Amino acid sequence: MKVSGFKYLVKQGVENIWKNRMMAFASFCVLLVSLLLVGVASLVYVNLSSMIGGVEDKNEIVVYLDDGVTDEEISSVKGRLDQIENISSVTFYSKEESFEDLKKSMSDYEMLFDSLGDDNPLIDAYRVQVKDIEKISDTIIQVESIEQVYSIRAPMDFVNILMDLRKIITVVCSVVICALVVISVVIIANTTKASVYSRRAEIQIMKYVGATNSFIRIPFFVEGMITGFFAGLLALIITWFSYDSLVDLMTGQADIVSVIGMNSIIQFGDVAWITAILYLVIGTLFGAVGSVIAMRKHLNV
Amino acid sequence: MVEMKDVSVVYSGGVDALHHVNLKINDGDFAFVVGPSGAGKSTLIKLILKEINPSSGSVLVNGYNLGKLRKRQIPSLRRTIGFVFQDFRLISSMTVYENIAFVLRVIDAPLRYINRRVPYVIDLVGLNGKADSYPNELSGGEMQRVAIARALVNDPQLIIADEPTGNIDPELSYEIVELLQAINDSGTTILMVTHEHSLVRHFGGRIININQGHVIFDEVVGGNLIHEG
Repeated sequence: MKVSGFKYLVKQGVENIWKNRMMAFASFCVLLVSLLLVGVASLVYVNLSSMIGGVEDKNEIVVYLDDGVTDEEISSVKGRLDQIENISSVTFYSKEESFEDLKKSMSDYEMLFDSLGDDNPLIDAYRVQVKDIEKISDTIIQVESIEQVYSIRAPMDFVNILMDLRKIITVVCSVVICALVVISVVIIANTTKASVYSRRAEIQIMKYVGATNSFIRIPFFVEGMITGFFAGLLALIITWFSYDSLVDLMTGQADIVSVIGMNSIIQFGDVAWITAILYLVIGTLFGAVGSVIAMRKHLNV
Repeated sequence: MVEMKDVSVVYSGGVDALHHVNLKINDGDFAFVVGPSGAGKSTLIKLILKEINPSSGSVLVNGYNLGKLRKRQIPSLRRTIGFVFQDFRLISSMTVYENIAFVLRVIDAPLRYINRRVPYVIDLVGLNGKADSYPNELSGGEMQRVAIARALVNDPQLIIADEPTGNIDPELSYEIVELLQAINDSGTTILMVTHEHSLVRHFGGRIININQGHVIFDEVVGGNLIHEG
């Protein structure tokens, strides 16, 4: 095919959008709504998972050391802890420090502490944060194998709840997103089918005058691509504005921030590129492929 | 040229559409194909366009042996044939000019040729001044002229007109056949399927009568050239 011929077909595709504007508008709206539904559901999932991550980060294991460990032993334990891969940070928590904290937290029992005098019944410890909460059991086993470790306190109930919560959210979100994708594909397919059906006579005429299949397909492809691209673009703009307004609204509420933690809310800027690319690519692809698949059966003349 | 040798068509439902048909239409012929509904006329056209394949026998059209023609070669075959539908089948979103030019676009003709050829054909079918009109602004007769111009524009060897006068006023039917005859005079083979016996009697010529899948009559008959409509 000559370049001029190709240009003509692309131009036809663009003109067809205007000529069939009602059907093009219907396809556009269906694509837009589908993209928004799937996009918003995905963003909700990403945020929920980030919030769980935020809570996970706050939780730590306390590693108690044997009573009367020497300074060398204390530092050698730190060295061993640093070598464990799943540990992200190690902070020393001396028995003096923990005694002070205990006194503060139980100020009503001051008398009791006074009676102890300088006798500190507590022991030195390390506060350890883990990277991946799911591997916490393995990490505990590794920590226990260190000689000077006396005992370990890990919030296992809390960890189990978090892990269950994460599983539930992942399953629920996956099901919702998959269902939305399937529903969208069915609706998009039917809208494009209806759009193409109204032009089947045109396709038939083209076949009778000896048009090749690609000659007939290219304008439909271009048309679907453009419609899909703009649906993706508008979906992006809508998502961006509403997401930013929602984040502003939430960060303005001190109560909400204190519960979920400021850092757990993902800023749109962090996901803008990936959202833009996914919206535009998926929009364009669904528009183009949907249009070509829908017209395929009319080509058999 | 169309040549059918011992062609039979049996549809999947077991319906016999054509029985051992032998037919030869030479270059430059003008032939009427007549017969009642369901006689096999449409099947005959579908065979020529390779919309369907015969159950047995061979079909030759404009130098193409359709039995050996691959699917992707069908567009080449159809570019040697112009087709006129009973219901015109113009693209409603295109002007008269675009409806006709579009056929040349399909064959990737140079723009300069399109710009010269389309106005010439519009003139030939007597639609001067209608180039920028849309199909819904035209009468039935005018729409059929556009359809004929579209069939004619890429200079096909054969034009098949399927009931071209079926949807227009009887008075205008004569004009349409006269137009087809004029095109035939310049060398294009014309195959016109019709129900209207009055037209056939008027113009005469080669008449192929098909009934129940058999060619029951194939002869040249003189016309009386008296309007019966």
